Amino acid sequence: MQRRSFLKNIAAAMAATAVVPHVSMAADAKPKGPNEFSLKEAVAAITGGKPLQTSPKIKLKAPEIAENGAVVPVKVDVDSAMTDAEHVQAIYVLATKNNNVRCAYVHLTPANGQATFGTRVKLGGTQDVLAIAKMSDGSFISASQNVKVTIGGCG
Amino acid sequence: MEVSRRDFMQIVAALGLGSAAAGCTSGAKKGPADITLADLYAFNPKGKVTLLHICDMHAHIKPLYWREPSTLLSAPNLVGTPGFLCGEAFAKHYGLEPSSLDAYFDTHMDFDALAKKFGKMGGIAHMKTLIDEVKKQRGAENVMLLDSGDTWQGTGVALKTNGEAIVDAQNYLGVDVMVGHWEFTYGKEQVKALIEKLDAKFISQNIVGDDPFADEFEELIFEPYTIQERAGAKIGIIGQSFPFTSTANPKEFTEGWSFGLRLDTLQEYVDELRNEHKVDCVVVLSHDGFSVDQEVARKVSGIDFILSGHTHDPSPKPIVINGTVIIIAGSHGKYVGRLDIDIQKGKVKDYEYKLIPVASNLIPADKAGEALVAKLYAPFDKEFNEVLGTTKGLLYKRDTFHSTFDQLINDAILDEMKCDISFTPGYRWGTTVLAGGEILMDNVYEMCGITYPNVYTFELVGSHIASLLEDIADNVFNENPLYQQGGDMSRIGGMTYDIKIAAKRGERITNILVAGKPLEHKKTYIVSSWGGNLQSAGKNLQTGKTRPVYDVVRDYIRRKKVVDVSNASNVKVVDFECGCPTQGKTSC
Repeated sequence: MQRRSFLKNIAAAMAATAVVPHVSMAADAKPKGPNEFSLKEAVAAITGGKPLQTSPKIKLKAPEIAENGAVVPVKVDVDSAMTDAEHVQAIYVLATKNNNVRCAYVHLTPANGQATFGTRVKLGGTQDVLAIAKMSDGSFISASQNVKVTIGGCG
Repeated sequence: MEVSRRDFMQIVAALGLGSAAAGCTSGAKKGPADITLADLYAFNPKGKVTLLHICDMHAHIKPLYWREPSTLLSAPNLVGTPGFLCGEAFAKHYGLEPSSLDAYFDTHMDFDALAKKFGKMGGIAHMKTLIDEVKKQRGAENVMLLDSGDTWQGTGVALKTNGEAIVDAQNYLGVDVMVGHWEFTYGKEQVKALIEKLDAKFISQNIVGDDPFADEFEELIFEPYTIQERAGAKIGIIGQSFPFTSTANPKEFTEGWSFGLRLDTLQEYVDELRNEHKVDCVVVLSHDGFSVDQEVARKVSGIDFILSGHTHDPSPKPIVINGTVIIIAGSHGKYVGRLDIDIQKGKVKDYEYKLIPVASNLIPADKAGEALVAKLYAPFDKEFNEVLGTTKGLLYKRDTFHSTFDQLINDAILDEMKCDISFTPGYRWGTTVLAGGEILMDNVYEMCGITYPNVYTFELVGSHIASLLEDIADNVFNENPLYQQGGDMSRIGGMTYDIKIAAKRGERITNILVAGKPLEHKKTYIVSSWGGNLQSAGKNLQTGKTRPVYDVVRDYIRRKKVVDVSNASNVKVVDFECGCPTQGKTSC
């Protein structure tokens, strides 16, 4: 099994929804190679230049210290009724200091029932993980957490 | 025979006549060293329930000498706070009298002289007498013995029996509930086998399966909590094993198990115990570390008591944060913490706490305990009791950067492996050998008895060594306790450096010298290390040289016969002038 398809399966298994959201991984065909997106560019491509607002409505769950930097469990929960009038349209997970900052982009509809998405991301080093949610009113809310990737050694 | 007053007091104490002696000496001025068994047992009882707490025994079923640190530095916001107190700062914070039994147990000050006066510490036979005394005072059915872990590992007898001897010791002591950390270094299967043998419950809310192909994926590996009834009260105890086991120790031992603090589920279990099970008291039995548990108390609500462990702090007084009372009972079996709880109408109304030093000269040994220890050691006595050599100065383990027993181990590795630089772990367990004392093979196992003992020799380039030191420094000195791992800096041989603890991540370490010359970033160095993960970062592993560290150290001491280890640190701290500053200070 390819790592990428494996990750997709995990993501699907962990999204606590009856309807599997459409998952597009970072390798979308774009004029620019995914590795060439800076964090600023990647965020701008998501928001179209609109401001990001930190909000208690979006919860990012990640370990303080990664057990294994190659597979760091990350879960995003957005508090939303998921109705036609008010729902989360997409969840984005970004690793702010990876060569490829874009980890997972998930598109949702009210039929998902719940705006929850969990996956594993690979972190090249200690950095902030950034989660962004696109809301149906056109706003973008975000949460971030520092995850330490260490060789360890104390005890 | 001339019997001094002090000797007389000790004899009286040993005979269990403490209270009578206290009565007849009440007119005389009591010196700090004049302590009796009755003083140790003295307690202002509260309510009906008693929790006895032990942590970080590190398999020391026999009494030992254990000197507390003379350097305990951290980020400036933490220095001088409970968890980062030592020496004079510790004595001042807790109001200890110089030269008292408490000063001997809790600090490094005047250790050699006081060791001769007060003798060895801990040992299960002495702990048992103390535990039985409390059970007699309170009624055995009202007392619970809780163990915060790091119990199965740390001595030769533990290593050679894969932890089994220590489970026998726990069953003898009557441990009721435990959590773990070094326990896991025996591997998952042995952990499960030992739990079968253990009379106590092993609980942990923060260990979850993370192998997607295993049945236990996303499932708890152990019961998250247990509810125990004592004196008519329901006490909920939630287990919190060491959150960073899989980074601090080799992953292979716990493959498929995920650790972490998991404060969200901790909060859920606290709420579940209170709302669904209607417990009268919520206890977290923890191996998070003293400073991390202070953060836990800030972030999780509804915990009455946290019984902490991991960082080996002997805290004579509890600390209270957000209504949560946190206690921690030192290490190596030196103490038993006694916590009396007054529970009324489903709530904790009052409590009383005392950290009781297990002074083996004052608390008589339980005969059955001595017999058990002798039986457990018998198969190994010949090997363990070999006198490898003697030491001129005190050999101790602890301190933030450097201690003499670590230096001896580094000297041995440099000598045998012919490497440029050696790294050894900053664990906080080990032993102390008094100046002029014999070094036994047993002492070597007490310093390095682990299930992954190999000394690896490999190549690292200079720039990599510098970044590894920064990485380790950030695990020790991060200003946020949640990003620390509760150990001390790795110890080094063949190299020196300067450190500015308060500097930013990646900018703390300067002036790295190897054999007196500046570290060259592009140069390849031969590095030896054990007990960590550095070999995975290196190249060209010299497999032919790989050998267990306890054999390397044994052979070196045998060759030297007399060791004379310098107590001069190979690390210069730029922003602190002494090892034990008080809060807000950089000097003493």
